[in-house]
Amino acid sequence: MTATTGATQAHPERPGRSDGVCNEFTVFTKIKPGHADALREDLAAMADAAADESVHAALRQIGTLHDARHVIFDNDTRFMFASVFDGSWDTYIDDFAQTVVGARFDKVFSHSEGFPGVTDPGVKDWFVAHQEPAGVFVSAYPDLTVQQIYKDHRVEEAFEAVLDTAEFRAALDNPANAELLATPAFQKLLEEAAA
Amino acid sequence: MNTVASSSAAGMGVEIDDVQSGALRPRPVPYEGKFVFLRVDDRHAGRALLRRLLPVTAGGLPDVDRSQDAWVALAFTYQGLRALGVPQESLDSFPRAFREGMAARAELIGDVGESAPAHWEAPFGTGDVHIALSALSSDAAQLDRELERARVAYEDTPGVQVIWQQEVHQLPTGRTTFGFRDGISHPNIEGVGLPGSNPQEAPIKAGEFILGYPDETGSLPPMPSPDVLGRNGTYAAVRKIHTNVAAWRQYLRANTSSAEEEALLAAKMVGRWPSGAPLTLTPEHDDPELAADPHRNNNFLYRENDDRGFRCPAGAHIRRTNPRDSTIIGDARMHRLIRRGTTYGPPLPEGVLEDDGADRGLVGVFLGAHLERQFEFIKAEWVNDGNFIGYPGEKDPVAGHHGGTGSVTIPEKPVRRRLRNLPSFVVTRGGEYCFVPGLRALRWLAELED
Repeated sequence: MTATTGATQAHPERPGRSDGVCNEFTVFTKIKPGHADALREDLAAMADAAADESVHAALRQIGTLHDARHVIFDNDTRFMFASVFDGSWDTYIDDFAQTVVGARFDKVFSHSEGFPGVTDPGVKDWFVAHQEPAGVFVSAYPDLTVQQIYKDHRVEEAFEAVLDTAEFRAALDNPANAELLATPAFQKLLEEAAA
Repeated sequence: MNTVASSSAAGMGVEIDDVQSGALRPRPVPYEGKFVFLRVDDRHAGRALLRRLLPVTAGGLPDVDRSQDAWVALAFTYQGLRALGVPQESLDSFPRAFREGMAARAELIGDVGESAPAHWEAPFGTGDVHIALSALSSDAAQLDRELERARVAYEDTPGVQVIWQQEVHQLPTGRTTFGFRDGISHPNIEGVGLPGSNPQEAPIKAGEFILGYPDETGSLPPMPSPDVLGRNGTYAAVRKIHTNVAAWRQYLRANTSSAEEEALLAAKMVGRWPSGAPLTLTPEHDDPELAADPHRNNNFLYRENDDRGFRCPAGAHIRRTNPRDSTIIGDARMHRLIRRGTTYGPPLPEGVLEDDGADRGLVGVFLGAHLERQFEFIKAEWVNDGNFIGYPGEKDPVAGHHGGTGSVTIPEKPVRRRLRNLPSFVVTRGGEYCFVPGLRALRWLAELED
């Protein structure tokens, strides 16, 4: 685990820990007095099934967010947003601003003291000021970006579909393919095909 | 009280003689048995019944004298304990799953669709089942004698009604309605003095099965109060499961091209051959001699010889429900159960592929100190999902409710086999969560006042 570097070089050093390609981003804010219920309503609206579909679509579009959570705590006085994302901190915030997620972010954070708005030029500084880097951050799959996970899923589905075809089984039995089958690369594939 | 010394560091012996025989004694082979459900309409009558049943209720381990080889056990639902007038404070001290009852937990444990409580056989899930009496013996005449003593007790007690009865017995084949020998596996329980069926299984803490003793976590399992009620008790999930034997045979026939393939496919789904011989020890063909040898037929682990499931698939029924040392998500020792499967109904004659409309299946009893961590966990995570073995969403091929869309993966070189469109081979006809008190606790219940 190291501080975020690499892809973020075009930007100033940003807080937050990383594990491989995965970075963590956690902000803590103060809820404006009397706003907790309104915030709770906004979160409930975000959590409903109809909104869920558009958000998952937006996440696909952003393509770098592994997961995110919004939490009200400390007797309705404070708010936490925590997420895991790939790549650059700055791109992550920029991307949010440009999608349906941005509007939701705007709404949710509008209940926090001092939030300038997600399109405000000062918004990144505001986030940095409220960000608390993790003491420890680990990922179960530090080498996999969201895009790679999507791709791996597609490849796995296609692979399993091939395994189910009679043609593939026939090809395995065909002596003409013996050379290919014997290669270490193909043997690796067959390892996965067996279970 | 005859206590058996435990090998544990705590040196705690289990008070075997206070534990009902129905909880710890392995099912006899062959067996005859009966389940009787009673409703208590008056708490004083209920207690009077318990006083009459107490002398009939057996504790302890098998008698060397085979003429005594029959036992009656008593178990109570939450509604039953309430009907007997157990104080509210005590009722509240039982774990949530037990208080809610199996019907309320149906979705969690996968009793959905045709297995949902809305379709259950009465009186399952109605709240009317208060006392579950069970009797088992290796001999029909002995069973009748024990049952007669019990029958006199409940028929002479006005205010208590018999509301359901089910006879169970081993089929002449010695096998379940699906045609497989069962009842082979029994855990090795520390301090109990009964041998486990797998010599390679390290003893499991008594507290996994009996209340009042430390469990695998090193803590005492949560126990209802007062202490006298909880100690030496356990919980039983009792289920009546209808088996679609014709559907099972048809599916096997439709997905194979020879009798041998058919037998192998069935064995791959179960994890044992019809004789009971485990695939892990004999992957190519059945071995009745091995199956008949109690020192060998359960003497195996998975990791060393069959980690990837080329002999016994990770998804096979016996491997899912008792993964032993398999590579899985989680710790298998935290989810052991005592299993008591008993068969009801006539067998579907061999070779018949069409359903004859008869009701047949099994009455299963799953015993342990933790309903949620054991029975419910096994149903929800191991039977109804495959994530723990790397096949997310794939259910137990035999015991899962597939609804025509299930799949099962059978590892095979060079390419695994994946069967699709599995129908459900079993339907839940009903079930109840029961508390099986120790004998002193039974007396406490019988002597409640007010």
